[in-house]
Amino acid sequence: MRKRYIVLGAAALALAGGAAWYTGVFQPRASAAQSGNGEGTVALADYPDRVYWGDTHLHTDNSVDAFGFGVRLGPEVALRFARGEAVTSTTGQKAQLARPLDFLVIADHTDALGATKRLMNAPRALVRDPTLRRWQKMMRAGGDESIRAVAELITAAANGTVPEAMRDPDANRQATTDIWQAHLRTVDLYNEPGKFTAFAGFEWTAMPDGNNLHRVVMFRDGFPTLGDTLPFPGLGSDVESLWDYMAAYEKGTGGQALAIPHNSNLSNGLMFELTGPDGTPMDAGYAAQRARWEPIVEVTQIKGDSESHPFLSPNDEFAGYGVWGWDLGNLPLTARATPDMYAGSYVREALKRGLSIEQRLGINPYRFGLIGSTDSHTALATADEDNFFGKHTGNEPSAKRAMAGQNLGTREGRFGWNYLASGYAAAWARGNTRAEIFDAFKRREVYATTGSRLSVRVFGGFGFDDESFDANWVATGYAGGVPMGGVLADKGSAPTFMIEALKDPEGANLDRLQVVKGWVDRTGVLQEKVFDVAWSARPMDGASGSLVPPVGNTVDEATAAYANTIGSAQLREVWTDPEYEAGQSSFYYVRVIEIPTPRWVLFDALRFGAKLADDVVKTVQERAYTSPIWLLPQAAAP
Amino acid sequence: MLKARAHAALREPLIHFLLGGVLIFGFFAWRGEPADPASRTISVTPDVQAQVALAFERTMQRPPSDRELDQLIDRFVREEVLYREALRLGLDRDDPVVRRRLAKKMDFIAASAAETDDPSQAELEQWYRDHADRFSNGTRLSFDQVYFPDQPDPVVIRSELDRNWRSMGAPSSLPATGEDRLAADVASQFGQAFVQSLLALPAGSQWHGPIRSGLGWHFVRLREREAGALPPLASQRARVIEDWRRGTAERRREEAYALLREAYSVRIDR
Repeated sequence: MRKRYIVLGAAALALAGGAAWYTGVFQPRASAAQSGNGEGTVALADYPDRVYWGDTHLHTDNSVDAFGFGVRLGPEVALRFARGEAVTSTTGQKAQLARPLDFLVIADHTDALGATKRLMNAPRALVRDPTLRRWQKMMRAGGDESIRAVAELITAAANGTVPEAMRDPDANRQATTDIWQAHLRTVDLYNEPGKFTAFAGFEWTAMPDGNNLHRVVMFRDGFPTLGDTLPFPGLGSDVESLWDYMAAYEKGTGGQALAIPHNSNLSNGLMFELTGPDGTPMDAGYAAQRARWEPIVEVTQIKGDSESHPFLSPNDEFAGYGVWGWDLGNLPLTARATPDMYAGSYVREALKRGLSIEQRLGINPYRFGLIGSTDSHTALATADEDNFFGKHTGNEPSAKRAMAGQNLGTREGRFGWNYLASGYAAAWARGNTRAEIFDAFKRREVYATTGSRLSVRVFGGFGFDDESFDANWVATGYAGGVPMGGVLADKGSAPTFMIEALKDPEGANLDRLQVVKGWVDRTGVLQEKVFDVAWSARPMDGASGSLVPPVGNTVDEATAAYANTIGSAQLREVWTDPEYEAGQSSFYYVRVIEIPTPRWVLFDALRFGAKLADDVVKTVQERAYTSPIWLLPQAAAP
Repeated sequence: MLKARAHAALREPLIHFLLGGVLIFGFFAWRGEPADPASRTISVTPDVQAQVALAFERTMQRPPSDRELDQLIDRFVREEVLYREALRLGLDRDDPVVRRRLAKKMDFIAASAAETDDPSQAELEQWYRDHADRFSNGTRLSFDQVYFPDQPDPVVIRSELDRNWRSMGAPSSLPATGEDRLAADVASQFGQAFVQSLLALPAGSQWHGPIRSGLGWHFVRLREREAGALPPLASQRARVIEDWRRGTAERRREEAYALLREAYSVRIDR
């Protein structure tokens, strides 16, 4: 009888041993080309001739909140999905992108990396802290209970009351090292220069008083350079120490890193302050650091759009896209927002503030380019309205998600339909490698879309005309001007911009092409104006002054369909600033507006019979925001 | 041949799974469940004692003293008594954690062989060929195109194309020519419809069109089409093994489940 026990025991041991061997010892190796920065691996175009699409902000089951929300998909599935393969979502639904992405940054929260996964699987007897014990129980119960546990965790993080056992960096260090190094190897394995770029990165999650100051950090390098560097914890650290960490990384390894602030709309005015972080006037040192490490801001994502707010831009009829619900307050809604906070929370205002700080300090801390990304916590980078897997596992496609209370488990404030199926990052680059895409981010030759893959090019310069805008205009633009993200020195005459937008080849037509200008006027007051530059053909009845009438709406809500019978496939224009005044600091960015299309809520209604209340926004005009081109007085230009 | 097939069958984990199931079933049928809720006898055999001691040693990095071992055995007995009573009361049944954990264990057993196995060379080659779309280089296209956002008049344009194509059509940021480009890349720029039309065209110096794309209309000259080749397996062996392992584990889980599922009839009352 004993022998039979031994046989069974041996079988069990073999199983366990096999699993350990598989997860621990066996590691497929990435090639040198895959684990490097991609320099010299593929033939490059003469100039950035193509736009590459990506998501720089995706969470997997290594993120403390994503796991708690229920996701059981890790980085490998996330990468396979992003490069176009079919996978099964955590809730058992088949998931596949209609079009693969070209690059991906998995940005799991560094705080307590993998901790909820460990907590969930830990033997109950070993969990001593009463709060952790309660969270473990809630997570094991699953569903809404689990989501509530994470809501409590996020609020605790916001209030600085996360149990010591979970927060202690020394206790977490070993786990973090193991998870991080395994993660870097996985990322390298999926990085295929020329085909698909997988970036290493993380999310730094500082949240003083619940106000979102989060940054995604992305690296240009792979395991050989990065392997000895641990991700930087967010809770309890300030952004200057993050920059110090990044500087030390670059100095110590020869690698490169950049940080991308996001969800400024949930910062209650703290993301883009006029002052330094301690409330005193911003000093040149802080401004220079910020400009050095943060060349890009994520302007649109699932938790709302941060371009502009109707309160700040009352004359912009297209302001306020995707602010619904999000402008109520900070991330956990522990503090409500008041309108005086908006200026520090929205990107257009930040670009304006940057000009005025620059006049004072000689350095613009907010000279940043724009991208969109998802911030999905499902390991699935979806931003298509007809294929939207939601913010987290609790709102993957279902009949109920649109109307469900979504303020992280409570019934207050925000609802499922507030989430946007947004956005993606577009990078103009010479090839699809880590170095090429990262460098495009550094020089800000990138733009944001709310999920559509429409293409936009802009060149700013002096003396462009219709003749420059012929078949070779892109080469002309590079030779005689600067692309989006660039800086022009004032030459005493109005700048001219060659602008072209092409619709998403699988998507909706274009309504109009706009230039958003911001400047400091002679009295030092910040100003802005939106110019309609080109628009599709339409009856111009009722056009008053500079106002172009609406393009119309073809959306049939019952079938979630629209028709490209209005709008244009291509819009292009050479535009010279009609209000130029010599010596003024200003910026110009392009906003492209699509014709109205159905939102994801209408697809839910069609597929699952979801009932939508009257106040639910059902159609939108998706859009792209380019990085600005700055025009600086001769003396101030670099 | 027959021998080879028998050999292959022996390697087939589904067979292992079934045989294992038969063995375990046979063992329990003969011996009775070790934790038979009806049995009130708990035997703390030397094997059990050794296991208990080993678990202690793993945590504490030293073997337990005699007194500690006694305590550990007491704890084991206590747990076993409560465990059996819990089973008698059916507490295992309505507990989602137990339910999920046991279901996961079944999945794990079904897939575990694949997760440690190395495929034979033949299996790997077969897998490589069957999933060529994941590993091949993709079709490459070389073409010239003239773009019209609005529908053009084909007669006027065709007569001009050969002489003048570079200055025709609407200026745009779309490239007028593509050299040796991946079909997938072309699709991301021009749309899927454009690539489908291109793939159907004969290669040569002949202009075709107008063909419709997501962006409008194009006249196209497909200079060359090169079907995607599958590079040698050795060049990406590690990746293919990974892919095989994952795919095989997934398939075995599903097969094992399908086999079990077949024995059940499920009625969903609405």
